[in-house]
Amino acid sequence: FTLNAWKSADSIEQGTKSFKALHKAAKKARQSLAQKLVKVTQERHQTFLSVTVCVLPSQAKHSEHHEGRHYSIPLEEVKAVFPHGLPSRFQQQIKTFNEACLMVRKPALELFTYLKSSNFAHPAVRYVIYGEKGTGKTMTLCHVVHYCARQGWLVLHIPDAHLWVKNCKELMKSSYKEERLDQPLQASVWLKNFKASNERFLKEIKTQKTYVWGKQESTEEGRPLGEVVEQGLARTRNASDAVGVVLKELKQQCQRGSFRLLVAVDGVNALWGRTTLKREDKSPVSPGELTLVYNLRKLMMNNWNGGAIVTTLSQTGSLFKPRSAYLPQELLGKVSHGLPPPSFTMGNRNPGWGTASGHGGRVCFSLSSHNIL
Amino acid sequence: RPPSPLVRCRLTQVRWSRYNPSFIEPEVNKELYQKPWEELSEEEKKKLELKAVQPIKAAPPSLSSSVFSDPMVSKFTNMMMKGGNKVLARSLMSQTLEAIKRKQLEKYHKAPEDEKETIECNPYVIFHQALKNCQPIIGLSSITKGGKTYQVPVPLKDNRKRFLAMKWLITECRENKNRRMLMPEKLSLELLQAFNNEGPIIKKKHMLHKMAEANRAYAHFRWW
Repeated sequence: FTLNAWKSADSIEQGTKSFKALHKAAKKARQSLAQKLVKVTQERHQTFLSVTVCVLPSQAKHSEHHEGRHYSIPLEEVKAVFPHGLPSRFQQQIKTFNEACLMVRKPALELFTYLKSSNFAHPAVRYVIYGEKGTGKTMTLCHVVHYCARQGWLVLHIPDAHLWVKNCKELMKSSYKEERLDQPLQASVWLKNFKASNERFLKEIKTQKTYVWGKQESTEEGRPLGEVVEQGLARTRNASDAVGVVLKELKQQCQRGSFRLLVAVDGVNALWGRTTLKREDKSPVSPGELTLVYNLRKLMMNNWNGGAIVTTLSQTGSLFKPRSAYLPQELLGKVSHGLPPPSFTMGNRNPGWGTASGHGGRVCFSLSSHNIL
Repeated sequence: RPPSPLVRCRLTQVRWSRYNPSFIEPEVNKELYQKPWEELSEEEKKKLELKAVQPIKAAPPSLSSSVFSDPMVSKFTNMMMKGGNKVLARSLMSQTLEAIKRKQLEKYHKAPEDEKETIECNPYVIFHQALKNCQPIIGLSSITKGGKTYQVPVPLKDNRKRFLAMKWLITECRENKNRRMLMPEKLSLELLQAFNNEGPIIKKKHMLHKMAEANRAYAHFRWW
């Protein structure tokens, strides 16, 4: 698939909306065939795939001339760093080819320079990666997560914020605050994956307050954070509150500087959109009334320092948004009013926009069709 | 069915074709046109000279000179198609080939070094070989003699063999599968089993051969 083929497929799709349903299945089948697979099925004789993997130096030395090439992550690291982060189609590719190869993309390289040169005494900068469908936003985020994990940061990775605002089978009233609603299943799944990826930090970081979970259960001050996570996993009733405690503790203790915190959220437009959840009296629930979303929104503010926040906008899992929406104004709505223009633009989109300061504000990266595969 | 002895039929593609018999079929083979004039044999030279004068039929949309087009795969896709939904049938076919490729690649990566060469990863090769393994050699035909119908063993034409193999494959995948299993997954499973000469379709072929062997006594009822 060349770049032109992708572009023309996109324009045809936008033009002939009536054929959308007919060709949806065909397009899905075509898209699922990665470039490597297409190469091999096209050749009739028996040749095995040749991936454009080059032996790249360690990630810290990825620079501009590495753009467009793939680097492979050893499979043990994949299990440790990404218990829940990678998209399902990429996981299928890993299973088939027995290797995890990520492409080095330009926005990722730009993010690395910013992260390296950021001053951690200043408030955390919020980076937003946006772009059209299938341009590599989630993969860029995974690249950044892997980079920070290698550097020794504590990574708080929420793989898909959209999963927290839809299809919740068990909604319970929160025991902590009356108006809020708990989601035990989603919270316990996230806690399990968080524990798998950040074992050593959970032993080192200690709680700064006593938390009472019930009549007989409580976590004293000075206990390792791993105990809070265990409590959340053991009692699913308290799972959402355990997540809230973890987020609060990490935000407070990051400012001391003993560790760096990376908050990586995929599909951040879910936190400020609408939900499909309803209470028992069929009244709709807004995202702010969910404990998980409420606590995560507190982390999204830039009133803490010692780390960075990298987020992705995604239309794919979003609710009540049209398929063609990808710009921050379209997906985030009112929240994006304070956003500066993109720090750099790719291709022929908006030529006349200048650079934005990364200090205390929000920086946008746009991914256009130049960045696919 | 045995051909009726009274009709002398000409072998034409379509029974009610409106083309004048002088029209020639289109030539799709690119290599023939790329050959220089000297290398062509006598008949090919004559054919090309005729083409300059005689009219040529319009090429059907399914005929293509692309390297990716395979007449067997196209025929199979047409047989899988329901209600004229070629888009769906084609996507199912490509998903099947992809599934075969993925399964074989996983096996390849897990196999030890000396066995790696024996694993076939090309889905087209597997498809062709599997269909070849499913084709019966001899079939049964019902012939009425003296008021009774007998099942007489009869040699099959190539087209009939190919048709039977594809038909058995498709009916097997449609009927004997788990409700939640999708067609590409089931088809890839059956094709891989047929490639290794095992599975329900090979069994069906062997049953047909055994029946033909059992009814050997009636073979002289055949007159063609």
